[in-house]
Amino acid sequence: MKTVEEKSKAIQKAALVFAIGLSSCATTTIDEFRQGQTGIEADETIVILGRREGSSFETDSDFVECVGERMGQGDNSISVVPEREFIDAMFPWFEPRNAPLRASDLERFMIEDIVARKMDEFRIRYMVWLEGETETDRSGSLSCAVGPGGGGCFGLAIQEDDTNFDATIWDLESLRNVGQINAAATGTSYMPAFVIPVPLPARVEANACNRLAVQLKDFVNGS
Amino acid sequence: MKLSEINGLTFFKGFMIHIVAGLFVSCGTSNVVIQGSFPTPAINPIPLSVAVYYDDNLRNFSYMEYSETGREEINIESGSSHVQLFDAVLPAMFERVITVNSMEDPEIEGVDAVFAPAIEEFQLALPAKTKLEVYEVWIQYNMRLIDSEGDSLADWVMTSYGKTPRETFLSVEDGINGAAVVALRDLASSFALNFARIPEVRDWLGSL
Repeated sequence: MKTVEEKSKAIQKAALVFAIGLSSCATTTIDEFRQGQTGIEADETIVILGRREGSSFETDSDFVECVGERMGQGDNSISVVPEREFIDAMFPWFEPRNAPLRASDLERFMIEDIVARKMDEFRIRYMVWLEGETETDRSGSLSCAVGPGGGGCFGLAIQEDDTNFDATIWDLESLRNVGQINAAATGTSYMPAFVIPVPLPARVEANACNRLAVQLKDFVNGS
Repeated sequence: MKLSEINGLTFFKGFMIHIVAGLFVSCGTSNVVIQGSFPTPAINPIPLSVAVYYDDNLRNFSYMEYSETGREEINIESGSSHVQLFDAVLPAMFERVITVNSMEDPEIEGVDAVFAPAIEEFQLALPAKTKLEVYEVWIQYNMRLIDSEGDSLADWVMTSYGKTPRETFLSVEDGINGAAVVALRDLASSFALNFARIPEVRDWLGSL
């Protein structure tokens, strides 16, 4: 006859096998639309900004930061000015109410000597606008209980993530839109629980961030 | 924080938040003092000498949010943050700015105009009531520009709006503060860039 300890180990083994069987996955698609030639000098930088004009959603600053960090790493890395530092230095020009919506709006901004001077100080060659969000759909059932003898959770929670981000690239030299890149990713995360919940995230946004950063880096470098 | 960590954390906390939230039941009135930092605007100053007068209503402005049963729920104090905001913005907008404690202050004689902002209305939207995952703040102002004789030069209404990003683990206090700071930045951006475009102000500047 099995002891309580043996039963517990058997349950944990079953949970592990089940968790591996559920292995979460994500699919990412990248589309690029080029409208002009690109290239960047070693001393030039780019800035990545999130669109936040809409009242229904706003681009997650963590995603913007993630893309910037990835672009600054690896081969052909590009110097990226942090979003918050740029927006504060340019205050109030890039606040949601005043931010340029089209590349042609930049002409109006660059007429202001104080704006042009700060852009020059940052050595910004390209301005990348990120717009998008991740929609989440949750299902499954997971319940937790606590009693005098201990507690635990049982069930299975499922989360489907659908991420879609558009990156629009403006050239500050020509003051023109030079291209757009779309990153779309979908994936399902699972959280099985046999006493202890085991989250198995699909890393949907992380995958979209990595792929978008690589594509943007190549785009800006002109390769 | 890496995005992969965020994904995992968001996934886990999304399911656990309802369990944890049920363990905390608050009662009584909570107090939120709006705190934030405001950058100096990057704009060219107008060659004017301006006195700013913050009346007691603005300095001590607070808003009380009531529960659906009429109970006092959250008291939001934003007077000092408004003063802090204008103190950061006005010196960048005008060549000379002084603060006066009353409209009878003798220093008013030497300035081109006196600026006296007032808060007319403050509205708050909480996720618990709107069922949205964001905190929202909406503020309406009455901006007044007066000459040294006490006559009105311009009088206009401005509104500002701020909301937080979707944050499941944001506390009520942090959510309100975050939305209010965004609203204050919205006010500053609109005020700083549109001041000279207000018809009455434009006419007055043209007459100088």
